[in-house]
Amino acid sequence: MSVREYLMPRSVPEAVGLLERHGPELLVMAGGTVAMPLINEGISLPERVMSLRHAGMDRVERRGDVLAIGAAATLSRLLAQDAVPLLSEAARHTASWSIRNMGTVGGNLFTPPPGGDVAVALLALDARVRLAGPRGERDLPLADFFTGFMTTVLASDELLVEITVPTAARETAFIKYGRKHANTPAVVTVAMALERRGGRVGVARLALGAAGPHPIRATNAEAALTGAILDATTIGRAAQAAAAECQPFTDGIATEWYRRRMVGVFVRRALESL
Amino acid sequence: MSPARHVVGRSVARSDALGHVTGRTVFTTDRAFPGLLHLKVVRSPVHHARIRGVDLSEAERVPGFVRALTHADVPHNVYTILGLIGVEPEEEFVLAVDRVRYKGEPIVAIVAESEQAALDAVARVKLDLLELPAVFDVEEALKPGAPIVTHWGNNTFMYEGHPCRRVRFGDVEAAFAQADHIVEGRYDTKPIEHAPTETTAAIAVPEANGRFTVYTNTQALYFSLDNTSIILQVPGNQLHFVGGTVGGGFGGKVDVIVEPLATLAAMKTNRPVKYAFSRQEEMQVSSTRSAWRIYMKDGVMADGRLIARKVTSYADSGAYSRQTPYALTKHAANAAGPYAIPNVSIDAYCVFTNRQPTSAMRGFGITMASFALEVQMDKIAEVVGLDPWAVRFINAYHNGDMKPHRKLVEDATLIETMQAAARLVGHELPDAFRTMTSDPRPDRGA
Amino acid sequence: MASTIVTFQLGEREVEVMVKPMTTLQAVLRYQLGQTAVKEGCRQGGCGSCTVLVDGEPMMSCLLPIEEVAGRHVDTLQTALPADAADPLQQAFIAEGAFQCGYCTPGMLLVARALLDRDPHPTRDAIIDALAGNVCRCTGYTPIVAAVEAAARARGDRDERGR
Repeated sequence: MSVREYLMPRSVPEAVGLLERHGPELLVMAGGTVAMPLINEGISLPERVMSLRHAGMDRVERRGDVLAIGAAATLSRLLAQDAVPLLSEAARHTASWSIRNMGTVGGNLFTPPPGGDVAVALLALDARVRLAGPRGERDLPLADFFTGFMTTVLASDELLVEITVPTAARETAFIKYGRKHANTPAVVTVAMALERRGGRVGVARLALGAAGPHPIRATNAEAALTGAILDATTIGRAAQAAAAECQPFTDGIATEWYRRRMVGVFVRRALESL
Repeated sequence: MSPARHVVGRSVARSDALGHVTGRTVFTTDRAFPGLLHLKVVRSPVHHARIRGVDLSEAERVPGFVRALTHADVPHNVYTILGLIGVEPEEEFVLAVDRVRYKGEPIVAIVAESEQAALDAVARVKLDLLELPAVFDVEEALKPGAPIVTHWGNNTFMYEGHPCRRVRFGDVEAAFAQADHIVEGRYDTKPIEHAPTETTAAIAVPEANGRFTVYTNTQALYFSLDNTSIILQVPGNQLHFVGGTVGGGFGGKVDVIVEPLATLAAMKTNRPVKYAFSRQEEMQVSSTRSAWRIYMKDGVMADGRLIARKVTSYADSGAYSRQTPYALTKHAANAAGPYAIPNVSIDAYCVFTNRQPTSAMRGFGITMASFALEVQMDKIAEVVGLDPWAVRFINAYHNGDMKPHRKLVEDATLIETMQAAARLVGHELPDAFRTMTSDPRPDRGA
Repeated sequence: MASTIVTFQLGEREVEVMVKPMTTLQAVLRYQLGQTAVKEGCRQGGCGSCTVLVDGEPMMSCLLPIEEVAGRHVDTLQTALPADAADPLQQAFIAEGAFQCGYCTPGMLLVARALLDRDPHPTRDAIIDALAGNVCRCTGYTPIVAAVEAAARARGDRDERGR
């Protein structure tokens, strides 16, 4: 059966209300780049669909010392901002121009495996996510958002409404390794953000994509970097740690074995680029 | 001659250029017909099974359902695409009868008022299938006890009573005994999907005079017309096929897959019917280039001369023949390569497995032979200590040489092509190779 | 279920269509508005043959519910470039042999047009990045990139002459 109703709420409270009223059978859609292919192919046959494009969740703006990204802001909008260069870089390596004009930053957190690449950059930037539901709003680190393979802490009556990242400058690097030059799923993605004090690494954040059930922080590699000088020895140690601690998988794009080796290669290259 | 005919030596714009850059070229599914019906197919979800029953009752209740077509509705339900050129036996069903042999094999066609209704009805058809063991590897398929895919009892296409295409020239075993080196290799290729940007499609339209006009993006308009005529048991002059605009084919639109069912549905409903593959069907159900496994054993002298080549090839035809038996014939005629080898033995098998049926794709039968034998030439060069150019010049065939399948070489150009390639890349050839020609060898004559 | 009326701008004219909910912009353009230059290669957003410009931005029409373009401006190849192929982009595609089967061509032309409108002298890398969402199975892409470069030069020359 075809869709009976296409809802376009004009505010977050209205969207939350509709979700509460219609329950889990309501298909929630932002950019449509994941949901529409399933609907077009007859795999997903929802009766009711809700669009988040008009609910006031699509802005990207500075707010104090953070960049506030509406969950329904397009990847193109993220690409265009200059407050956080790492996010621009990640958006540039995601999908294609047309898809970036439609796909959203929030949607990138729910991209099917091997997963969204902007999400990897957000994780390296200590992003926080804001969720809204009938019981109110809650705010938590992105690092606590993912719980497993295609699962998150988002309750069935909640919506992801905003993502925030600090705008404080850091040394950053982003490498997405795919089989094609562009518009390709990741073999592995590496995003890092460092602060150095007196030549030594103060704060190290290293996030990996397509190297686990969801974007992960390579905490052993981060520990190897913290307090160290970024020389060849440190870099080698960190790359090895990342390759050892990640949990990659085999799919149609790459094998677990290859992904693990590439984590080591591209963590090294990312660190060398700083 | 009028100036308009003086085109030799001039650059002339393609006749479809204007249409392509203005978006006005009409591709098959760009056509609109009032009352158009949509045909979608119920496909086997498993690789190999006996069909015990098909329940259409829920599907028939979907709003917009018009009718279903089963094998009983198809006047001549069996066809081999190559039957038109005398290749036997007939063995592929338009709609499955009591067995399915590959995942995706068509079982029932559903015709409905909208594509959505057709998809919905397809999803509600209930299949009662008894799964059978399946085989997916060419050599596994030839072992005793392997699941049998065909209806004639073994998993190979029979060539005049033999399970493979055979070429015998000279005595390879005697030559191996004399050779200074034996160089062996196993070469595997994978199926390749043509993935044209436009999917396979046909629209069949009943005309007022009782004929049917079929708009199709087939690469093989006459094959399609003639096969449809045989399958539907109507004279060819009742069918008017319109085609020629193909959004990418590469050999993937030669299998006469959508026209017979679309036309049958138009006959049964007296309305225009569109049968277009979704992208998923195009990628997972439509034919691919065959996967190939080639074993090559070469006998080589210390001076680089190839004196014997033994080839055993297995092509994975998938569950049905399509064009693959023909590919094996071409393969057998070319597997020795453009080289003069006095002793050659080739066994080329067309093997059936429970994979997607494979068929034509650019250079089919030959491309993978070239891959295998050219890598062999490089290996030979390494073993005897010559450079890869030398090994090829030394062994290149000349006009007047006899090929292993008993055809005289004419218009040989390997030598000249290599010389041109060497010039292009700035590779300095020794005089003997730089001045060599494909002329007949003095000692062999014409 | 009830149909709705959606109004939007298609090229120069305002159009009004009656549609079932969530009919895609692709289906509306192809089957109700005669815009068959909008092609139907995959319906997954993966091939780019359905590319249209919405308020000047390239988008995949197969992934856009028609309700999302209410009140907005949509261009297809048929509304964006002239029917006599006089635009430098069209001329360049012909001259460079930038098509074989022609199925990807409408999408390629629209994205190229959107690129040149923003960046009149794009680098080769910028052209390749812009076209990354459009699949061609025939040409190997090289003549398409060459055609966009040639069109950029021709447009530059034309603008020079216009001064």
